[in-house]
Amino acid sequence: MQIRDYILRRLMVLPLLIIGTSIIVFVLTRVGGSPIGIYLSHEMGPEQVQQIRERFHLDDPLPVQYYYWAKGVLSGDFGWSGVSAAPVTAVFPSKLAATMELAIASGIVAVVLGIWMGTIAGARRNKWPDHVIRVVSIAGASLPLFWFAIVLLIVFWVHLGWFPIGRSDPVIFDSIAHPTGFYTIDALIALSPRAFWDAIWHLILPAIALGYGATAIVARMMRSSLVEELQEDYVEAARAKGLPERLVLKRHARRNALIPTVTVIGLTFGFLLQGTVVAEIIFRWPGLGRWMADAVLRGDQATIMAYVMFASILFLFVNLVVDVVYAYLDRRVVLGE
Amino acid sequence: MVDASLSRPPVRGALVETAARVRLRRTLELTGRVLSDPTTVIGLVIIVLMLAMALLAPVITTPNVPDPYQMPRDWGAVRKPPLTEGHLLGTTNNGGDVLYGVIWGARTSLYLSLLVVSITVVVGTIIGSIAGFLGGRFDNILMRIVDVFLSIPELIFALAIAAVLGPSFANIVLALAVTFWVKYARIMRAQIMRVKQNDYVDAARVIGDSKLRIYFKDILPNSITPVMVQATTDMGHVVLVGATLAFIGLSEAGIAEWGVLVSEGQAGISSGRWWASTFPGLMVFLWALAFNLVGDGLRDALDPRTEGR
Amino acid sequence: MLTNLEESVAVVRAPDVIASVRDLKIHFSGKRGMVHAVDGISFDIRDGETLGLVGETGCGKSVTARSFLRLVQTPPGVYAGGSITFRPRRVCDDCGGVGCRECDGTGRVAAHCPACGGKGCRTCSGTGEETVDLLSIPDAQMRALRGNRIAMIFQDPGKALNPGLTVRDQIAEVFLQHRTAEILAAAGVSPDDVLLRRQASQKSRAFEKMLLAVPPLRSGRNRIDAALDTMVADALAQTQIPNPRKVMERYPHELSGGMRQRVMIAQALACNPDLLIADEPTTALDVTVQARILELIRELQQRHKTAVLYISHDLSLVRRVCDRVMVMYAGRIAETATSPQLFRRPTHPYTRGLLGALPGRGAHRGRLAAIDGTVPELVNPPAACRFVGRCPDEVAACSRTDPPMVEIEPEHAAACFVHAPPVKAPASRPVRTP
Repeated sequence: MQIRDYILRRLMVLPLLIIGTSIIVFVLTRVGGSPIGIYLSHEMGPEQVQQIRERFHLDDPLPVQYYYWAKGVLSGDFGWSGVSAAPVTAVFPSKLAATMELAIASGIVAVVLGIWMGTIAGARRNKWPDHVIRVVSIAGASLPLFWFAIVLLIVFWVHLGWFPIGRSDPVIFDSIAHPTGFYTIDALIALSPRAFWDAIWHLILPAIALGYGATAIVARMMRSSLVEELQEDYVEAARAKGLPERLVLKRHARRNALIPTVTVIGLTFGFLLQGTVVAEIIFRWPGLGRWMADAVLRGDQATIMAYVMFASILFLFVNLVVDVVYAYLDRRVVLGE
Repeated sequence: MVDASLSRPPVRGALVETAARVRLRRTLELTGRVLSDPTTVIGLVIIVLMLAMALLAPVITTPNVPDPYQMPRDWGAVRKPPLTEGHLLGTTNNGGDVLYGVIWGARTSLYLSLLVVSITVVVGTIIGSIAGFLGGRFDNILMRIVDVFLSIPELIFALAIAAVLGPSFANIVLALAVTFWVKYARIMRAQIMRVKQNDYVDAARVIGDSKLRIYFKDILPNSITPVMVQATTDMGHVVLVGATLAFIGLSEAGIAEWGVLVSEGQAGISSGRWWASTFPGLMVFLWALAFNLVGDGLRDALDPRTEGR
Repeated sequence: MLTNLEESVAVVRAPDVIASVRDLKIHFSGKRGMVHAVDGISFDIRDGETLGLVGETGCGKSVTARSFLRLVQTPPGVYAGGSITFRPRRVCDDCGGVGCRECDGTGRVAAHCPACGGKGCRTCSGTGEETVDLLSIPDAQMRALRGNRIAMIFQDPGKALNPGLTVRDQIAEVFLQHRTAEILAAAGVSPDDVLLRRQASQKSRAFEKMLLAVPPLRSGRNRIDAALDTMVADALAQTQIPNPRKVMERYPHELSGGMRQRVMIAQALACNPDLLIADEPTTALDVTVQARILELIRELQQRHKTAVLYISHDLSLVRRVCDRVMVMYAGRIAETATSPQLFRRPTHPYTRGLLGALPGRGAHRGRLAAIDGTVPELVNPPAACRFVGRCPDEVAACSRTDPPMVEIEPEHAAACFVHAPPVKAPASRPVRTP
């Protein structure tokens, strides 16, 4: 199968998966109870409550409610976010930028560091760097992010005072315009080194906290696939040609070992995405994750639905991209199996 | 020349016995291999210590009345640092003894992981078995449902469910169970598809065994190992995710649960009170680490190909 | 164990010996002790001959082959003793490697011993030729020989070619590693150009490659690439691959098994090696393709007069391609002879068993003879004949000491107390027939 056909087929399945996800989540949230609580206040009388019930179609059967929700979504209306006291679509973009900036920064940390560590461990298998990296990566898979982040804060914010908390310094924030919502990019656009350093400074701690687990995943995968590749015949054949070990490792083994590593990057992305919920709470980062956490605690179903839809679409899309990249890299793959 | 054995009826006893003996021998070998890896042994030791702590909690501490799973409140000893007389690991904002929380938290975590893992293993194995064994339309529908479940990161899914159910520890169990069964269904289905093709299954069919008998005698024992490995790892993972949900605030406040304790201690860190969060979080880490190490060790021991990776 | 036979052969016929293995021992540390995979074997490979090394799986033949390139992984492997001396040739001055009368058409001439300048001394055993011990030279020197003077063809070309690189890139590597001067000359680039010289010996780092992608420097790089293209295409054309320029842009998985093995051969012969090690080069191929690949190896070998060490488990195949054959069993050499001799007069019971196991020979039609029993475990083996327990003609002496190699007729020796009894004389020098 051609890569193009494969992509098309996957793209056609994508909406079905998204609809399926939305139905399951919608049903589950509604089963738990009426979402009305978030819209009520103490001053409302029974009549006003009834008005709200009608306005949000809360007395209709579940499929009809879903129909209204889906109809709204298709026309760009994701409902009213109770926690933000604004329409979902109004607050979404700025929060999205905050979350993506954090997730991408930690993603870069994870991929670069993970591949580097995995290569060292795999090439020096069973030597001390391998043991160190193995311990680090096993720990990474078991480390509770909420605890690791707090420990980082205790050490670097409370005790050493090296890094700040939050997303930016308010004075510096006001000093430049924010067209993209990515503070680092905004600072580059405004040509303000001070704002850029401030953005990076605030980013470092949460990016490390969030990226550590993902780094561990990538490093582990890289190590095991490199070890596997190094046992392949073509590596021995490359040595038999007289190539120095540097080229055997870099040109031959590592290149092929990267292929399976790409597949875990999709997985890693899901990991990063769910991690933002916790990291944003702890680092007071004004992104989607904290928004979701607030919504969860207050039963704000419109926000929860919007967030879950966003997360699943993004997750599915990243996985599609990863599959395509994988198919492109590994020409031996027979697509569609 | 005609092979004489063909004219004889196959002897079931002989077949079953050899299979059982092979299994026993493999189990012994496996135990040896598992115990030869120092990291696995470290994991096992931590697990044993954790279990001892959980089981002996009422003995080593004075249970709080009326509900021992609630943190005690000693308003006379609020925000004490570690190594204070009577409060080895210090106290929380509400005068809760951190050590008490750490110990009873182990019991809470044991409940949580045992409940969730046993529910999901049973449900997932049954559903996956039916799908793999019967195939056809049921299998198709199931796999589509699995796809949908897998299209959302697990924490977010569990978070959404727990959100609707309302904040309580029981609901965390439920949310995790709803999220985690999918993994087992998938593993079991794939295993069954694989095992089904083995000759001994055909052999059993040829001698006229019933489907149910084939399933319990031949298929299940030969496909359950990956499920058990996953279950071992999940004993730790469930606590990790469960504590995260509790940290976010989906459990009742004031219970002796590690995630809740970390969350409650978080407020004090800017004033230098590091202990209330640090110790309970460390426990979550050790718990998850121990089961991860043992799960890894099991997987490596079962698959000699991955030796030394 | 240094056998008398090997010495005598070298003196009697005295064809140029390209490589000599003496008492080679390669062990592997296993869970239950040292596995003696190769346990004291000695033999010579003569210039231009095809020497077959035959044995069952696990008898040590592949390990022996790999030790010529020092490719045995250490650990778990250990070079426990012995030596492999090798006499690398150099490119003929008169023809520059093309082949002329001076070098007998091989393009290679003997290299002078650096210790005595060709006069003959202890280092070169009086031959005056450069002699190296493959097991003790430094890594860098070993790498300079690999793929250059000693090359190897692997069993499964589908696995031994990197799936992620084009055929061109994989063959070009060999030239870049060993033929930098030639590439520079063909590209018309001065060898003093450091950047391009590093590029033509694949030493460039990432930043140098970036520099070379910039226009003024790019033309030099492009000339090197063009020169390489020609060299690769020529190498492929030698193996009768049709349309080499097109094939070289392909990835291995896009080629058939036979084509892949041709690529492997082109890669191995790219630098006109003195010794080619062929590790079961046709086992992974279809039967119809096997014959053609064999012919190709034979033909190229004769044209370049390359010595070939041919590893196989297939006696009938070895008979067709090899001048001499060594039968290996459980880490030892059981018998060695010229091909005709071995098939006319197999002496060691193991050889006889192997020949008996060939279909259409001796045994009744429709029944395959097999050797009873299994290969012994090679963990700390006792001093005894390795074939004890499976041997039909066993005597008491067999389980007491190792049988030495004893000459039966010229060029033919076996290690067996029964069929090749050692001469009882104290000097124990076997009788030599002129």
